[in-house]
Amino acid sequence: MRLLFFILLGVALFLASNRVGELRQYQGSFVAMYSLAIASIILLTGYSGQLSLGHSALMAVGAYTGALSINSAHLNPVLALVLATLVAGLFGLILGFAVARLSGPYLAGTTLALAVSLPTLANQLPILGGEQGVVFDVGAPPARFGEGFSQYKWFFWITSLAALIMIWMIANLLSSRYGRTFRSIRDNQTAASLAGLNAGRLKVVAFAVSAGVAGLAGGLLVMLISGVSPSAFPLSLSFSLLTGAVVTGVYSLKGVMLGGLVLVAIPEVADSITTRIGGSEGFTATLPGFLVSALLIAAVMFAPNGPGQIFRKSNKQDNHTEGNK
Amino acid sequence: MLKFITAILTSLATGSIYALMSTALVLVWRSTRVINFAQAGQAVLTTYIGYEAIVRSGSYWVGLIVAIIAGALIGAVIDRFFMRPIFKRVTTGPIVMIAPVVATLGLLGIIQAVIGFKWGLSYQTIAAPVSTDGYRILGSVIAFSPFNLMVLVSVTITMILLTILFQKTNIGLALRASAYSPEIAKLSGIKVDGVRTLGWALAGAAGGLAGMLFVPSSYLYPNSMDVLLVFGFIAAVIGGLDSLFGAVAGAMILGFAINFATAYISSKLVFPMAFIILILVLLIKPGGIFSSQKGRKD
Repeated sequence: MRLLFFILLGVALFLASNRVGELRQYQGSFVAMYSLAIASIILLTGYSGQLSLGHSALMAVGAYTGALSINSAHLNPVLALVLATLVAGLFGLILGFAVARLSGPYLAGTTLALAVSLPTLANQLPILGGEQGVVFDVGAPPARFGEGFSQYKWFFWITSLAALIMIWMIANLLSSRYGRTFRSIRDNQTAASLAGLNAGRLKVVAFAVSAGVAGLAGGLLVMLISGVSPSAFPLSLSFSLLTGAVVTGVYSLKGVMLGGLVLVAIPEVADSITTRIGGSEGFTATLPGFLVSALLIAAVMFAPNGPGQIFRKSNKQDNHTEGNK
Repeated sequence: MLKFITAILTSLATGSIYALMSTALVLVWRSTRVINFAQAGQAVLTTYIGYEAIVRSGSYWVGLIVAIIAGALIGAVIDRFFMRPIFKRVTTGPIVMIAPVVATLGLLGIIQAVIGFKWGLSYQTIAAPVSTDGYRILGSVIAFSPFNLMVLVSVTITMILLTILFQKTNIGLALRASAYSPEIAKLSGIKVDGVRTLGWALAGAAGGLAGMLFVPSSYLYPNSMDVLLVFGFIAAVIGGLDSLFGAVAGAMILGFAINFATAYISSKLVFPMAFIILILVLLIKPGGIFSSQKGRKD
């Protein structure tokens, strides 16, 4: 049933990609990439209850892995993206052993430190290309698609397919036994431990899986901007992803595309505002950040448990009212 | 030998700035149980206000006083009109655990954007009130200036004043009682909400001071305090998040570790060193080196 839904969605996207212009195709690729990254946050925060501000760093790990494996090892781009996922996942696993047992503010602060310090490290390793970074060239679309097949459409196909497959896998994981155990440690770790679950290990697993997904999203991101450099992964990327996840409703995968759309739409909205009312250079440069933050605060204040909450206000007896303080 | 003395002196100077940030974080943590990520924004906003005061009045000292007062006011306003409504609104669902942290992050973004609107993104400088040329020892110049000495002295005075406030006054007693047990404090007639706002105000003032002492040896731009926030957080974790003494001691440990690593091994080690210390403390003694409590309170 779920598989059917994803296949139908894929077909719909495929048909859409033939009908829209190059700009929309390019934007669509970003929506897919952001949706995937938001899914990794939802998996981690919504299901296992860990708050990470370091996902921009994890995406950077995947991005550098992908770029290096194409440039230095001359791997096939698909293989490079798989490798990006695996290496980021491994990195998340190692990091998870250190941090996943932490809770709340400790985890948030530690991952924040990671997000700030990892890009500066990338500046110092010669193989990572310093401030210029490394080129990530996925290659032109195969010739058999014909002359009119643009690079942007190719981007769109790759990102959409990768995102669909990965989100489908996450959805399956979350509806399996693992998803239930993740939720149980989130809602009441003591009870989950008493029931025989190894909460520490499950949190590490969740962290590693989420890191892998983020790594793939990072690989896709630098494919879209055709190169990876430390400045492509600022701390504000982590904040944007968190905003996307909170706007989507952190506790459900269903709306990830909404979050992706919002993140792509914000710069556009900011752009149209500044062209309409003008404003200084500082205003133009900081308006997107302002909108992201304002949206984050509005979401936390008015619909903390997802947009669905607004529509079912009367229904006070939510699934998660008990057992988490 | 000269290198050694220089390293010690610079460690003390940078450590004391970290100490202000970690103290600010601990003050808020004790009163509200939130890591205030917006602290970086608050501190930089108050530094901009101080900068504006310096431009208008021509005196660093006017700017310093304005920044400290503005920091206290901004801290109090944020607690009263932003954090308190959020705690009141968000009471159900798993979001309760992450909502305060997410809210402070959103606030950080808003503050930094507003600074961009008002002052732009370009780098500003604040001239130090005393010389920033290094002292001469035995004929050679060392990397420790009268301004560094001023930083060290003012932070020491601040810490002594804070200690007196906390240990010798009724307000300090109320602050400690509300941090230790809000319910019992409330039963004994302490206005816990007001005391909490006071904690935020103190933290805001400390952040403003940190900004005014840090920026003269660096630059002023909307993100100039982000790194200090991270170092302040690491220092606070080393100290156990709950103790003011721990916050200062943690900041000094961090200051010494970073400065000695950069002086003797490589100047590239600032962030790796800080991160390794953080991970080590979390792995070995997650409650912090100086925490008096057994186990970590979440």
